Order: sequence, then structure tokens, then C-alpha cells
Amino acid sequence: MGIFRAAEGAVAGRGGTLMGDHCEQTMRRLSTYIDRELSESEVKKVKAHLDDCPPCEQVFDFQAEMKRLVRKECCTDDAPSRLRAWVRQLATEKPKPAR
Amino acid sequence: MDQRGVAMSDDFSLFERHLDALYRSALRLTRKPEDAEDLVQETYLRAYRYRNRFKPGTNEKAWLFTIMTNVFRNRLRQRPAPEDPIDQPGADFSIYEQMRREGMPVHLMSPEEIIVDRGFGGEVKRALEELPVPMRMVVVLVDVEDFSYKEVASILGIKIGTVMSRLHRGRQALQKKLWEYSGRPKAPSLAVGAR
Repeated sequence: MGIFRAAEGAVAGRGGTLMGDHCEQTMRRLSTYIDRELSESEVKKVKAHLDDCPPCEQVFDFQAEMKRLVRKECCTDDAPSRLRAWVRQLATEKPKPAR
Repeated sequence: MDQRGVAMSDDFSLFERHLDALYRSALRLTRKPEDAEDLVQETYLRAYRYRNRFKPGTNEKAWLFTIMTNVFRNRLRQRPAPEDPIDQPGADFSIYEQMRREGMPVHLMSPEEIIVDRGFGGEVKRALEELPVPMRMVVVLVDVEDFSYKEVASILGIKIGTVMSRLHRGRQALQKKLWEYSGRPKAPSLAVGAR
């Protein structure tokens, strides 16, 4: 296994392109960065690298957009009105089965 | 009035405001509107029954989701659904990487253009609903409901490291399914979907 192949296997996300140490570290932290789960100092490091490295920034843009897409597509189902009415009833009287 | 718990009439609305979130998550878990409605009803009945155990000022959405995921898991144990694939780590997959490998101009395309605009309605929901339950719950709680890893660990009673690994594998499996739905060549095999 060549060195490029090894790097590709170790860190998913950059499509096997040649990466430096900072790229690897950023790719490893990308999900936690997108999920806003990193410490302030780690956020600074990731941000600084993304500003300097267009290939990593592209991966970030794509994965962040992917997360937004999942949320957007899954937030379209509102509760049926009869269920809402039933929940409201809970606060005031003993509920009857909704269906 | 019980100061420790939720006062009736006044504060139950605190719980009602999370109805849409509970319902859409219940839909992803049960995959059927009638089962989702039933799960949400059971969740609110329990919230009502145990309302004095809720500590005002704490996260009521997380409290409701803890109840709902517990009810759901108990039901799964009683009425096992068709078995979910065993969740094991598999080869890494991301749509971005796959497109790069195939020489596609991924930097010019958004996930929406790749997945939604080319396909049919509801691919993302369908892909999510096909994930094994443990991964599905974590992806729904983090990506759709915006809970923190710590909150998800507490809701599901699992370690933060387990949240992170299920999230990682769940997102990859989701992208793999979306890739296949978009009519692209079959993605490299992941453990998800394999028996």
C-alpha cells in the first residue's frame, strides 16, 4: 500500500487527494466541528485551516450542507391536528384515546 | 401546586410545543403514521403521569425524547420489527469522496442538487428510515433535532463515544443509500445492509 493510499484509508473525506498533517487533523475533527462540539481553541484551529485550504473547505461546505439537507427534508411532517387537540386536552381534563 | 413539577394547565404547554418534533421523530422511528401517533400519545401520557418528576428549568425537550425513545425501545422488545442489520464498522463512504473518485465536479454541486433535485420526493426520509435503529435514533436526535452529543448520550443512556461512533456510521450509511437512490453506481459495500 502506497503512502497516498494509506492516507486515504486513514481519513475519509478528501477523496484520496494528497493531504498535509493539518488537513488530516481537520478532516478528523470535521464532524464534531460541524456539530458545534469542539472546544473554542479547537474551533479556532479548524477555522484557520479551512480559511487557508480550499480543498478542505470544499469538504466542509459539502458535509455541512448535507447536515442542513437532512434536517430540512425531515422537518416537513407536522403532527396531525387531532393529535394536537388531544395533547391540549391533557392539560385540562382526563384524555380520551385520540383514535 | 407542586413547585417541583409542572403545574397543570399553565405549564403543560411547555410540553405541547415539542409535539411536531416528537411526531416527526416518531415517524422516522416507526415508519408508519398510525404507529407514530400512538407512540407520541404514549409519550405524552407518561409525561403527564410523571410530570412532577420534571425539574422546571431543565431541558423539557430532552426529557420528552427520553420518554419517547424508552417507550419505543420497550415496544421493539415486545413486538420485534423485521430484524435490523447488525451494526458493525465498515469501509468509509461519503458522497463527496465518491464523486471525487469518479472525477465529477463536486465543488460545483450541492448535496441537494445531487440527491434531491435528481430523484423523487422523500429520499432523505426513506434513507434515514432504512438505517438500523441504534444509528437512526442518533442521527435523528443530532441532525434533525439538534441535540448535543451529551444530551443524546443522556437521552439514550449510552456513552458519548458510542453516540459519536453511531453518528459517524449512520451518516455514512445514509450517504451510501442516498448515493444509490440517486441512480448512481452501487457504492462500495458497507457492513450496514449486510447480514
